[in-house]
Amino acid sequence: MSFRWITKRKARAAVAIVATGLVMASLAACSGSSGAQGSATKANLTWWGWTPDQAVAENAIKAFNKQYPNIHITFKKIQDADYAAALRPALASSSGPDVFNLLVGGTGATVKTYGVDAVDLTPAMKKLRGSNWKQGLFATGVTDFTVGGQLKAAPIGKVASGMMWINLDLFNKFNLKPPTTLAEWKSVCKVFRANNLGCFREGVDPAGFEQDTLHTIANSVRPGFYEKAIAGKAKWSDPAMVQTLTIWKNLQSDGILDPGALGIQQYPDVNNAFLSGKVAMVQMGTWYRQYTRTDTLKAALQGAGVADTSKLLTMVPIPFPDVAGNGNTIAAFSDPDYALAVNKKSKHIAAAETFATWLGGSKAGQQVIANNLDEDPVLAGVTPDYGAVPLVNAKEQTPYLDWLSKYTSNVTEARLANISGTLDQALLDSASSTLGNKATPSQAAQTLQSQSGQ
Amino acid sequence: MTTVTRAGATRRGARKGGPQDQARAVNYLWLLPAFVISVAVIYFCVGYTAWISLLNWDGISPDPVFIGIKNFTRMAADPVFWDALQHTVIFFVVTFVGQAFLGFVFAVLLHSKLRFAVLYKIIIFVPVVIAPATMAPIFRVMYTPTGQVNNLLANIGLGFLQQPWLGQSNTALLVILSIAIWSGTGISFILYFAAMGQIEQEIIEAARLDGAGSLRVLTSIIWPNLRGTTVAIAMLTAIGSLKLFDIPQLVTAGGPNYATEFLGTLIYRQSVPLNAVGYASALSMTLLVLAVGAAILLRLTGRERGERRA
Repeated sequence: MSFRWITKRKARAAVAIVATGLVMASLAACSGSSGAQGSATKANLTWWGWTPDQAVAENAIKAFNKQYPNIHITFKKIQDADYAAALRPALASSSGPDVFNLLVGGTGATVKTYGVDAVDLTPAMKKLRGSNWKQGLFATGVTDFTVGGQLKAAPIGKVASGMMWINLDLFNKFNLKPPTTLAEWKSVCKVFRANNLGCFREGVDPAGFEQDTLHTIANSVRPGFYEKAIAGKAKWSDPAMVQTLTIWKNLQSDGILDPGALGIQQYPDVNNAFLSGKVAMVQMGTWYRQYTRTDTLKAALQGAGVADTSKLLTMVPIPFPDVAGNGNTIAAFSDPDYALAVNKKSKHIAAAETFATWLGGSKAGQQVIANNLDEDPVLAGVTPDYGAVPLVNAKEQTPYLDWLSKYTSNVTEARLANISGTLDQALLDSASSTLGNKATPSQAAQTLQSQSGQ
Repeated sequence: MTTVTRAGATRRGARKGGPQDQARAVNYLWLLPAFVISVAVIYFCVGYTAWISLLNWDGISPDPVFIGIKNFTRMAADPVFWDALQHTVIFFVVTFVGQAFLGFVFAVLLHSKLRFAVLYKIIIFVPVVIAPATMAPIFRVMYTPTGQVNNLLANIGLGFLQQPWLGQSNTALLVILSIAIWSGTGISFILYFAAMGQIEQEIIEAARLDGAGSLRVLTSIIWPNLRGTTVAIAMLTAIGSLKLFDIPQLVTAGGPNYATEFLGTLIYRQSVPLNAVGYASALSMTLLVLAVGAAILLRLTGRERGERRA
């Protein structure tokens, strides 16, 4: 078949038009946003994060809208394992979120990597809090989220870990006391297992929650060792780490850790099992305090697929048992949790800055954070107003929550902030290989040292 | 050969710049949209990935560092990469044998006069159209220590076989293989079923007249006539094995202890959580070479056998 009506000249012209079009389209695609700031008080914004829960985010947005009724925010929660995968192409496009969560260390959406796509929030903070804007804010949070002299994200709250959370209803039902030693822990777990319940459940997955357990055990073995190893001031192959991995492995063989830890995820598997009363104990950090609130727990149970949410569990924090038997005080460790970044390509940068800095830097915003119980506020002097917080079982829970506040009030060790992606993966590998009998604790510690990137 | 000679004669006989030659040149214009799209979408991306594989880059930072072939030497020394390759080979062999066997058996059964044959066809094919993302959470629940698989084993007196299927290196890969066979058998069944319909009835009848029983007809008449289909299934399974990502990522995330790590999940692990986009690109380029190589090898193998038979 031939097309005689098309001459060579016409063909060349057509090729030129197509080529020019392609070049123009490429240039348009590469040119990015116009850089418009938009209104600071009126916009429709999207906010992406792996945390907080939907109900908690709604609380924050509702409080924000009392002051800024014309800024409408839609929060999209993405599971932490999928968050970085969703965020990277979104930020590369021109239709990404206006506001997005960043974390300080470990793997995934870290400020070090993704901060490139965020605007400097320093001017907005100065506008909100004055030239001395850092005063009163959690200094570590500000430092950790500052890259190249620019505040790439506004820290929203702090989280600490090192404690356990238990289902007090189950402990009361079987007349059990929270375990304080390894022997007591074994004994408690025997009772739960005899009644077809899980005891201590944990998911060893790339999200890295098992690192909290390793860190806690290490603090029981030799306080301060783990932090030194993260900083490269101690070897991961040190006998303290070997003992830590041995205890970790024995948690499974002693019937404390539920079987299958290597095949489940902390979220949603372990979280759902605990909240629906199938498991008595989990290791979660202070963020788990949010589920002592009736409204948050109900929302989470509905999310977990529990049909009848009329009976809510009474969950409380307890100290981690002295698993090493050395009588050491097991210190908590803490990080700034998520921080809010504003997308450089957003068409509503000014409004997005208003929200990010309000939540992270204003007293009203921080009071919402405190009352949500999800995080500890980063603004000094703001504490939860328990009178305004609907606890599931205030009488039982309040003493434990008071203990938690004291336990996490003077934390000096960092949680994930100083852990690189390489070390994060190496720690996961050491925990997995020990638990899966692929390596002895000693071999795993040696491998950890060699793969730590230190 | 005829075509080549004729084309050659035309080329020699035509006057350069004549109307026919002009028309032929213009005809290439109609290839332009497809050419532009394939260059822009596929070949540009391949070239770009090849370039990134020579960089130390997190995929976002504006200042990547050129490191030559260091990502490839790192790959050669990475035991996880070799584990992933080994799992890919195991996956290919087991799923190919499993899917081909089941697909063949189902096709034979449904070519006989069964009642409710259409219903059976639908049941066999439905797993193919269900997205792995939909099924993965269900499989995760089924294979948990308190899941339906262990409950079933306990209820049929095989409680001693209960175990945390996804939490052990030696069983997690089996779970992935079983899911892949379950979800892929429908394709091999459809291909075999269609191919069996093309076998001339006279050949089968002649064999029967010569005294061949059903098993002999199956092994000596039907199976050899399906060689092309089997090669096609092998090719699809080989490429599918190399590209495998969704099932292991969604069910086991490549764990435990990398026991279900495949090239696809390793590339994801390196590029997204670990932000090692340069290294992930080196893995991607290797995957591309392996996929093309496997396709060529299987194609040549299939052709050689076909020619030998002819």
